Amino acid sequence: MEKFTLIGKNMKRIDTAAKATGEAIFSADLTLPRMLIGKALRSPYPHARIVAIDTSKAERLPGVKAVITAKDMCGDKWGVFRYTQDQQFLPTEKVRYVGEEVAAVAAIDEDTALQALTLIDVQYEALPSVFTIDDAIAAGAPQLHDAYPNNINVHVKIDVGDIEKGFNESYLVREDTFSAPEDAYFQGEPYAVVAQFDQAGNLEIWMPNAGPHMKAKPLSNVLKIPLNKVRVRKITIGGAFGGRSEISPADVICAFLARKALRPVKIVYTREENTVATRQAHALVTKIKTGVDREGKVLARDITCHMDGGAYSSTGPIATSVPFLCMEQAYRMDNVRYNGYRILTNKPIRGMYRVHGRAFACGIDIQLDMIGAALGIDPLTMRLRNARQTGDYTPTKSYVASCGMTESIVKAGEKSGWKEKFGKLPPYHGIGIGCNSVQTGFPMGIRGGSQAFIKLNEDGGITVITGIVDNGQGNDNMVVQIAAEELGLTPDDVQLISADTEVTPSDPGSYAMCETFIGGNAVRLAAQDVKKKLFRIVAGEFGIGVDNLTARDRKIFVTENPEKSMSIAKAVRIALSRNESISGEGSYWPNVDPKREWVKNPYGQLSETFSFGTVIAEVKVDPETGQVEVLEVTAAQDVGFALNPQVIEGQFEGGVAMGGQGGMLSEFLQWHEGRVLNPTQFGYLVPLAIDMPKINNIIVETIDPNGPYGAKEAGMSVAMSAAQAYCGAISNAVGVYFHDYPITPDKIVKAIEEKRN
Amino acid sequence: MKEMKRYSLTLTVNNETHAVVTPPNRTLLEVLRDDLQLTGTKEGCGEGACGSCTVLVDGQPVRSCLTLAVAMEGRKITTIEGLAQGGKLHPIQAAFVENHAIQCGFCGPGMILTSQALLNDNPTPAEGEIRRAISGNVCRCTGYAKIVKAVQSLAGEER
Amino acid sequence: MKLPPFEYLEPSTVPEALSMLDAYRDTVQIIAGGTEVVNRLKLRLISPDYVMNIKKLRDLEGIVDHEQSIIIGANVSVNEIRDSSLLQHKYKAVAEAAFQVAAPPLANMGTIGGNILQNTRCQFYNQSEIVLKGLEVCHKRGGAICLAVKGGKRCFSVYLGDMATALIAFDAQCVLEKSGARRTIPIIDLFTGQGTQPLSIESNELLTGIIIPKQNGAYGSAYRKLRVRGSMDYPLASAAAFLALSADGKIAASRLVIGASGPAPRIVAGAPAALSGKLPEDADFAAAAEMAYELSEGVDNLALPGDYRKKMVRVFAQRALQGARTDMKRGM
Repeated sequence: MEKFTLIGKNMKRIDTAAKATGEAIFSADLTLPRMLIGKALRSPYPHARIVAIDTSKAERLPGVKAVITAKDMCGDKWGVFRYTQDQQFLPTEKVRYVGEEVAAVAAIDEDTALQALTLIDVQYEALPSVFTIDDAIAAGAPQLHDAYPNNINVHVKIDVGDIEKGFNESYLVREDTFSAPEDAYFQGEPYAVVAQFDQAGNLEIWMPNAGPHMKAKPLSNVLKIPLNKVRVRKITIGGAFGGRSEISPADVICAFLARKALRPVKIVYTREENTVATRQAHALVTKIKTGVDREGKVLARDITCHMDGGAYSSTGPIATSVPFLCMEQAYRMDNVRYNGYRILTNKPIRGMYRVHGRAFACGIDIQLDMIGAALGIDPLTMRLRNARQTGDYTPTKSYVASCGMTESIVKAGEKSGWKEKFGKLPPYHGIGIGCNSVQTGFPMGIRGGSQAFIKLNEDGGITVITGIVDNGQGNDNMVVQIAAEELGLTPDDVQLISADTEVTPSDPGSYAMCETFIGGNAVRLAAQDVKKKLFRIVAGEFGIGVDNLTARDRKIFVTENPEKSMSIAKAVRIALSRNESISGEGSYWPNVDPKREWVKNPYGQLSETFSFGTVIAEVKVDPETGQVEVLEVTAAQDVGFALNPQVIEGQFEGGVAMGGQGGMLSEFLQWHEGRVLNPTQFGYLVPLAIDMPKINNIIVETIDPNGPYGAKEAGMSVAMSAAQAYCGAISNAVGVYFHDYPITPDKIVKAIEEKRN
Repeated sequence: MKEMKRYSLTLTVNNETHAVVTPPNRTLLEVLRDDLQLTGTKEGCGEGACGSCTVLVDGQPVRSCLTLAVAMEGRKITTIEGLAQGGKLHPIQAAFVENHAIQCGFCGPGMILTSQALLNDNPTPAEGEIRRAISGNVCRCTGYAKIVKAVQSLAGEER
Repeated sequence: MKLPPFEYLEPSTVPEALSMLDAYRDTVQIIAGGTEVVNRLKLRLISPDYVMNIKKLRDLEGIVDHEQSIIIGANVSVNEIRDSSLLQHKYKAVAEAAFQVAAPPLANMGTIGGNILQNTRCQFYNQSEIVLKGLEVCHKRGGAICLAVKGGKRCFSVYLGDMATALIAFDAQCVLEKSGARRTIPIIDLFTGQGTQPLSIESNELLTGIIIPKQNGAYGSAYRKLRVRGSMDYPLASAAAFLALSADGKIAASRLVIGASGPAPRIVAGAPAALSGKLPEDADFAAAAEMAYELSEGVDNLALPGDYRKKMVRVFAQRALQGARTDMKRGM
């Protein structure tokens, strides 16, 4: 008999039929009785004092039911951390970026709401602005917040080993600087919120989110109502990629409008608003100094990174740390110093992104290529010589319980024909490699663990109740798959109640790739709890020990004698008749160091386990136009264990599109004085089907000792290493190492011209 | 605000006729979603660049966000809700589900209808033809590989 | 995004359309496929009192093969042009341009008339309020500054149509009708070269058809377009070339046209002289392409830098000429 019936199989996702028929409801699809349409008035200034706001004319417009400004709120400031509370949902004193919300209206229809916005009179006093990292930290620069002198929002300092000694002992040392402008999420679904209050003061709210509980708490705080009155409801979510992690001003504004108007309110963002007024990804400048021995083994690294964080902190301390952490996980580096600075500018707010920090990861990797070239060592061997190994500790003291980095490098190398190709390809034809590693969660305070409940019905079916949220990656299916597997049920026997703060218990949310590892473990434990109770009943009936039973095909049977069995339905009925509880409960708390803190103490177990991945890309460059044709991409990643291989492949393929094809070839935001010049799909060039190369997927399994069935994460590592592989491949094709990303055709043509001269 | 004339339209959507009264400045997308509650058709960009709002008009893929509803009288409109019959998925929908071609699902309705229009015109498209046909539809999740595979699964003999 | 208010006109005959245009003149915006105009309306770049849908004018449909010319109705969709075997065979540059317009679903909606008569574009202009509000008013929006070119005394917005560039390579004409009058002018003359008012069509005129003259002897054509992605994108540089050879294989006539490099498609005036009487060889093509480069305008107002786009005009002019050489065939 096979070990599993569902786990490890290509199970058809439970949620996609409803998506294929248009039945799945996204936030903007909701209509409630008497619902109003809400719209936000946005700042046309990158930096200005708000002198006065006169909303009287808007309030008098027929059809307008509520107008709110900062006066309607208590001036509370939001921050992910206590020390980063700096953003008011409607600002009282000043605006800090073009597009920041200053007031909002709710009206009977969109036309009326839009007209009302034109009737709100805001007097501003323009202030000098800063738009670049250099300008922001220059002496005498305009300051965005009193709390952050010199516009330095966050400084993360990590110092491990003895880098001076390491550099002194190095055979070769080189220093390079890498940079990239902002990128954008471009989730399929533009942001949308629907909110309503009932007579008892309960808020019901729907919006795309990466964790309903992460939305509920700040809503409770700012609305001054208890958490049990905040009901963030489940809704289909059209992608997140890190950009829907926090409370959004739109959530708060919508709730305040609904409370003031005493009617449901819907806010739907335009594509432009989604680009400007949700989150963007950081611009980065990274200086990397690396020393190696004769064999290319890294002896010391000194890294300084400046990130343009925009106007507010958002997830700043995390964002400032993660690019470094991914690389310290991926590669061994015993002596390392990191100084990460997040700088505030008068631009929209930046958050975590699936390919956060391309100028960091690509810098580390392409510099290995440069060093390798100087030493006569090929890039793949350079990776192998520095690859992280199982049983290691990272520089910041995380134990690595399972690590398939070397295996992913070797397998990707074999599949892509690296040995036959590297250095042997015709002119303007190149191959490159990138490696990365990603967390499966990190210390998240009281929200670090996940809990799940399971209820049984007398027909043997179950309902799983969990806080896990599905942003599109298939988490709902993962929950059903695990619960059904553990209890020997079919997916049809499992109902799911998830991501609803009224009902579902605490869960970290879809952050830091933790849902499978943490939430999945909690669901598995809940199912095992149920199973234990059912087995007790069946064992009693059969007069045997609970250890001799197996659950499969909706039955519980004697393992050694499968003929002897009882249906789960019957076991449930017995339990009911005996008034015996058979509900299940499971909770999982990852083994992370609670004392670890992003800024104050960046040492200790960061995440219980880590994924490791390698991407190899092969490209052809048109030397006249600089256009890149990607011939083939091979993505290999240690995912621990593939619960649903096609879902994993989908993550790999989507990762290659976002990180490699988009992140390294075409995606970047263009600016004019704090304004995004390409906020739409015509301007921001997300890859299309016609652009995508053939992708070879290689799933590497190391069976993590603590992951559910050994699983880790699959969503991010390939996306990041794809950017690095594309960078290496283009550099290899052109014969020039690129330092500024994305590598658009103009940069390639310029590099070729400079090389010729 | 200008008072506009209101038009009484008869729209044929998914083989049903609907009486709609609307001013002329409304798109087919707005009428489908707001008046007919056919919310399977999505607005992703509002400017025709993402393809999420694709519907079929007389069998051809059309951006409903760029189409005036008043111009649609007498045309045969198919939305994503019109594919499945009798509670059974249409083969193209089933192919998308079977092949894991849907992740978040926001681009799905437009992608599925665009793919079906291709298969109606050309039952045996080669991979390149599929990729070209769906290249007006942006998917941020899948990298398109499994979408292409789903369409290929229905593409009969490859040429 | 919402459309602004307007009244709707839907003529069913050309004369009816012309009388409506006569009546409403500057207050009416014509719409056919809608792919460009609806966006301009949504962004409030235009706020006409009337929108006149000409899509139901049956007289503007069809590709007709006449003795001396091909006549294409203004409402013919870009996809019909792409799929026309007549155009693919005899006017390859036109079919190639149609193949590269936006993406198939948009080219299914868009018409050749609308593609030709599209307005110029600029990153500082084709934007919603979120970008434009609070931004200085540029030439294109009726102001006196240019945001793309510091100190720019005029508008540097760029004409990004694909079809006109290819049609001009064949010296194609267009038919403009108004109540009681009709004129046929070269398509190149539709363009003023002014970014602010790029089209010279009168407010009561309707573009009804395109006339492509037939070619004699051996000739070939090609259209080449640079874009970042393989679909959807407007051109960042483009060129169309037409070459006709005399019996001895030397170039008898030629036309090189560049697009996406200024407020109008432009004929490279010096190219025929540089190529005439020579064998169609790369070295001479390069001289013509150099002239294209000189003629083009590369400003930082689109997806990639202006200096790069200007250089690419040279590359794509060369490639269009090479493509025309490859396409060489007998005429009529």
